[in-house]
Amino acid sequence: MSLASPRWASRSRSVFIAACAAVALLGLAACKTSDDAAAAATQMTATAQALADYYAAVGKIVSNTEAIYRLNDQLEGKEYSPRSKAAIEGTKAELASRVKLAQDLAGLAGSFAGLAGSAAPADVAASAQSLDAEVHTLSSTTESSAEQQGLHDALTLLVKAIQERKEREAAKDMMDVAKNFSALFQKEKPIWISREQVYATLSANLAKDLVDAGDTDNAAMLKVALDPFGLTMGALAEDTKTKLKSVAKAQVDVRRDAAEADFASATEAMQTALDEMAKRIEAVAQEKPMAYRKPPLTIANVKTWAAHVMAY
Amino acid sequence: MANALLDVQQTFTSLDTQYSMLRLACKTDADLKALADKYGDAQANYEECVGKMLSDDDKEVADLSSQLKTANQKVAKLEAEMGAMSVVIDDITQAVTLGSQLVAKIPV
Repeated sequence: MSLASPRWASRSRSVFIAACAAVALLGLAACKTSDDAAAAATQMTATAQALADYYAAVGKIVSNTEAIYRLNDQLEGKEYSPRSKAAIEGTKAELASRVKLAQDLAGLAGSFAGLAGSAAPADVAASAQSLDAEVHTLSSTTESSAEQQGLHDALTLLVKAIQERKEREAAKDMMDVAKNFSALFQKEKPIWISREQVYATLSANLAKDLVDAGDTDNAAMLKVALDPFGLTMGALAEDTKTKLKSVAKAQVDVRRDAAEADFASATEAMQTALDEMAKRIEAVAQEKPMAYRKPPLTIANVKTWAAHVMAY
Repeated sequence: MANALLDVQQTFTSLDTQYSMLRLACKTDADLKALADKYGDAQANYEECVGKMLSDDDKEVADLSSQLKTANQKVAKLEAEMGAMSVVIDDITQAVTLGSQLVAKIPV
C-alpha cells in the first residue's frame, strides 16, 4: 500500500484520532486527583496554621506562668530560682521552634498548592494554539474542526495527567511528614496539658490570695444585679464584703476549671485535625477518593481557643 | 516520663496551693527560708522535667525539620518541572506538527 493511497491516509487519520482519544481517556481518569490534591493542600495549610497558632498560644501560657512566678516571688515570697529561669527559657525556645516548624509545614502545603494550581495549563493553551495554527495550515487535508478541537483537548489532558502524576508523587513525600507531625503532637500532648494546668492552678491561687487580702474590687460582681434596675453601688456592709470574697473565690475556681476544659478540648481538636490531615494526604498519595474536601472542622475550635489565650 | 512530669507537677502545685497556710505555720526565719527553698526546688524540678522531656524530643523535631526540608525541595523541583512544561509541550507540538505535515502530504 502506497503512502499516497487514500486507504493509507484514512488509516493514518484513524490512528491519530485513536491516539488522541487514548490521551483524553488518560487525562479524564486522572483529573479527580488534581481536585483532591488542591483540596489536600488547602486543608494542610489551614491545619498547619492552626498548629502554629496552638504552639504560639502555649508559648503565651508559658510566658504568663513566668509572669506569675515573678509576681509570686515579690508578693508571696515564693522563690523564682535561677534553675527555673534557665529551664523556662529553654521551654520557650522549644515552643518557638515548634511554631517555626508548623509555619514551615504551611509553607510546604503552599508549595503543594502551587504545584496543584500550576500555570502549566496556560502554557499548554499557548502551545496548543500554535499547534492549532499548524493544523489550520493543512488545507489540503480534510481535518474537521471537531478533530482540531479534539487534538487541542487531548494535548491539554495529557499535560494534566503528567501534572497529576507529579501531584501524587508530592503527596507521597508529604504523607510521612504529616504522619510524623501527628505523632510528635500526640507524644508531647501531656507536656502542653501540664503547662496549662500549672498556669491555671498558680494563677487561681494568686487570685484567691489577692481576694483574701482585700486587694480586689469584688463589688463589681454586683453590677449584674443592680444595672438592670438602674441602681448604683453604695458603700458595702462589712458582712457583704466578706460574703463577696467567697463568691469571688468560687468564680476563680469555676473559670479555672473552664479554662482547663477549653484547653483540653482545643488540644484534642488539634490532634483530630492532624490525624485527619495525614489521612487525607495519604488518600491523595494512594489515589483513594477523598470523602471531605473542606479543612478539618476541628481546627476552628483550636483557632478560637488560641485567639482567646493570645488576648490576655 | 509523662508520669514523672505528673508527679513533680503534683508536688509543685500542691505546695503552691498550701504555701500561705504553711508560711503562717512557720515559727522561725529558718523555717521560712527552708519553706521558700523547698518551693524553689519544687518549681525548678517541674521546669527542668518539662525541659528534659522536650530535649528528649529534640531528635524527632530535628528529623521532622529535615523531612520538611527534603519534602520542600522535592515539591519545589516538581514545581520547576511543571514550570518547564511549556518546553515539553513545544516538543510534543513539534512532533505532532511533523506528523500532521506528513499526513498532509498524503493525498485523499
